[in-house]
Amino acid sequence: MKLFDTLLGRTKLKKPKIEALFALSTAYISLEALGFKPSGVSGICFKPVESSRFSELESYLRELLRLSASETGTMCQFQTDEYNYNWVILNDEDFEDLVTTTHLISETIIEHDFEERLLCSIFAFGDVYLIYNYKEGTFYPFAPLADRKRDSNLEFRLRSAMEGELPIEKEVEKWHPFWGIPF
Amino acid sequence: MKRWQRDYGLATRMFLTMFLLFAVYIAFIAVLSYLRIPLGMIVIFAGVMLFLQYYYSDKMVLYSTGARIVTESEEPGLHEIVSRLCIEADLPKPRVAVVDSSIPNAFATGRSPKKAVVAVTTALMQRLDRNEISAVLAHELTHVKNRDVMVLTIASFFSTIAFFLVRYLILFGGGRREGGQIMLAWIASIAVWIISYILIRALSRYREFAADRGAAIITGHPSHLVSALMKISGSMDRVPTEDLRKAEGMNAFYIIPAISKSSIMALFSTHPPLEKRVAALEKISREMELA
Repeated sequence: MKLFDTLLGRTKLKKPKIEALFALSTAYISLEALGFKPSGVSGICFKPVESSRFSELESYLRELLRLSASETGTMCQFQTDEYNYNWVILNDEDFEDLVTTTHLISETIIEHDFEERLLCSIFAFGDVYLIYNYKEGTFYPFAPLADRKRDSNLEFRLRSAMEGELPIEKEVEKWHPFWGIPF
Repeated sequence: MKRWQRDYGLATRMFLTMFLLFAVYIAFIAVLSYLRIPLGMIVIFAGVMLFLQYYYSDKMVLYSTGARIVTESEEPGLHEIVSRLCIEADLPKPRVAVVDSSIPNAFATGRSPKKAVVAVTTALMQRLDRNEISAVLAHELTHVKNRDVMVLTIASFFSTIAFFLVRYLILFGGGRREGGQIMLAWIASIAVWIISYILIRALSRYREFAADRGAAIITGHPSHLVSALMKISGSMDRVPTEDLRKAEGMNAFYIIPAISKSSIMALFSTHPPLEKRVAALEKISREMELA
């Protein structure tokens, strides 16, 4: 009932979709073949909420990551950026483990009822990033250059490499940039 | 949807206002057609005028406020905040503009989310911190998401016609038999104009509450908007009146209208009083904690 929501001024945030993340654990092989080698780093960006339950989530996440680190060897790091968004930054040479852990963290945040706070997760492929938009359930490329310019050439090359492998964000207006990615 | 994200009271009041407005308009059309007032020209004229105003809302507002579209390299921080809020709210990124003004304020305009512009004043960027700016921009983006420009344009269509009739109906005056009918139509127009004016203002205030709610939901921090509103309104009172008068035109779209408080009655105000907005936001904050 989108019309009704607009008419009555109701704000609803989209629920995140996380299943498409798994597509990356196979798609990376063909991306690598086309010259986009994963750097073994990913980041999950989410916005904290004004609620005491949010700090519970944080300590739970730390505990979870400590456990999974001992299993898969994924290194992790918490960070808050200058816009007050939280980042969980993961390091793992094994790309499939990286994707699995990213999925696990996203899932945990959803299970704790903060699903709407998930903004995106980002995977580094050398100079170019692959951004997963949870609300859309799609990926889009982002290649930052100096002085807040984007290397659209590189972005479209990555996009064509993704074709058929990953769900791509079709509306280019929604290829939101992320400057100063903390990894 | 979580409990704190719902407000049936607000939705009901908004629906009731729109319903009343609709009823008044239907009655108005019935009365005018009963009195056989030729409306064709006026309806077309008002329609074209409102459509142009709606279609070119972004250009007109940018021109009348002196807002300047800024690029990503000019205002990186502002763009970054807008970008992230757009992902959160699932909106295409609007253009971002800055108004050179000593009054901290912000507005949004444009006929559709794709054509939208959000603007902040230089004073707003100086006096508010990042969290507060983000809350204000989330409020404006909710106006975009709710298509408030369109809703208010449609809502004021027959009100505009009533206004024209009040002004020009006298010119229709012909034979003696028609004189009485024109008088009746004139009285009906005045009544519709006044009633619809009050209803549209009420609707506009409810849309503000809805935008405040939206900002709380999008940012997850109702308190950031509270402190932003406090800061903005606090400094509004200290601003010299000349500047205020100059800034009055675009009130309906501003986050806090630039009119000194005592000058206007609550009934005719486009924005709800600060205390009520803060109270509503604090309620959301409590509900979030309990959720």
